[in-house]
Amino acid sequence: MPQTERLPDPEEILLLAADAARVVLESGGETYRAEETAAAVCSALGGVEAECFATPTGIQLSFCGLDGKVRSIVRRVKTRSMNLDRQARLNALSRDLYAGRLDFDGAARELDLIERRRGYGLPVSLTAAAVGTASFTLLFGGRWNDALVAAAVGALLSRLTRRLARRGIADFFTNIVGGAVAALLCLGAERLGLAASADTTIIGVIMLLVPGVAITNAIRDTIAGDLVAGVARGADAFMAAAAISIGAGGAFEAWRFLGMGPL
Amino acid sequence: MREPLGLLWAALGASGFAVLFDLRLREVPFAAAGAAGGWWLYSAVGAASSEAAGYFAAAAFIGLYAEVVASLRKRPAAVYIVSAILPIVPGGGMYYTMLNSVRGDLYASLGTGFETLQAAGAIAAGLAVSSALSRLVSLDRLARRLKGKA
Repeated sequence: MPQTERLPDPEEILLLAADAARVVLESGGETYRAEETAAAVCSALGGVEAECFATPTGIQLSFCGLDGKVRSIVRRVKTRSMNLDRQARLNALSRDLYAGRLDFDGAARELDLIERRRGYGLPVSLTAAAVGTASFTLLFGGRWNDALVAAAVGALLSRLTRRLARRGIADFFTNIVGGAVAALLCLGAERLGLAASADTTIIGVIMLLVPGVAITNAIRDTIAGDLVAGVARGADAFMAAAAISIGAGGAFEAWRFLGMGPL
Repeated sequence: MREPLGLLWAALGASGFAVLFDLRLREVPFAAAGAAGGWWLYSAVGAASSEAAGYFAAAAFIGLYAEVVASLRKRPAAVYIVSAILPIVPGGGMYYTMLNSVRGDLYASLGTGFETLQAAGAIAAGLAVSSALSRLVSLDRLARRLKGKA
């Protein structure tokens, strides 16, 4: 283990552990992983006893240092978006800490780097969205022209939702807009004869928004005994699906009302 | 047409979303292979027995596959599971359930909702089984290694 200049204060350890757990949750990691990360940071850096309770929306961490005093901290988790690279790096961070390959300062620096890492640039993420939505349209039985429409709409939708999320607009509203935009564009493409089936195209595009992983994780958490996290994730998935359908359903209604053709 | 090309679309779709989820490009082929394998198992078992069995088998396979790849690549298994599970996950079902209820069609909504819940439950159970299995096996290996060192 590298020699440290000074021993970190218990308060600093607590802050670092809470921040690590918060970043795990913000990157879409499981709640038990956030709890394990916090506990690993604490015990690796000199906590006698650390206990963490995490839900998808917040963390409570209490920590008993070598001086025998109990300290605790609460952190809210306000944004959650899937970031697998961060999850992998955080996992490596807590493993390195545990194995003694990192000291307190090194871990704090590494966490800062992880938080500030930028994702893929615009061309890569647009291509990824286009390829993903086109492939799912084909997988769900769409034709080639459906896939092309899905690629275009998917690239646009991924931009739009990211833009809205960055403006701090609630997920519920983002999903309504996303569902409506996807439905209107696909219906328009069908009307113009670009797509053979608007329905198949919409479902391919909407994979970008739809909470399939969330509902599965909700049940996984519940099976694992993290009941609060499971119910919270279930509610999250339910509201997301509701919002998307309100958007898409509204778009279908508007389309019919305007007399643009049958559903 | 659906069978052979389906594997390709499942792999490509999972790759696209894996990149959107900020998976490093080096790891994407592993996620894509898991997605193709899972989709194949889902179609094969689903056709031979029931949909739910197909979901369960595919999820169990993807979970085990991800645990193996994760231990080789020194990354959490969740990284591979999240991307590889996407083609079979019932996102479309959630959407249709809510769309039917927004339209006021109670029975269609209940029907799709039930199917969605069944699929999500089967997938979650498959993942739970594979993670429990891998924990048992790696515990054994850890114990053996500790004994060897002592």
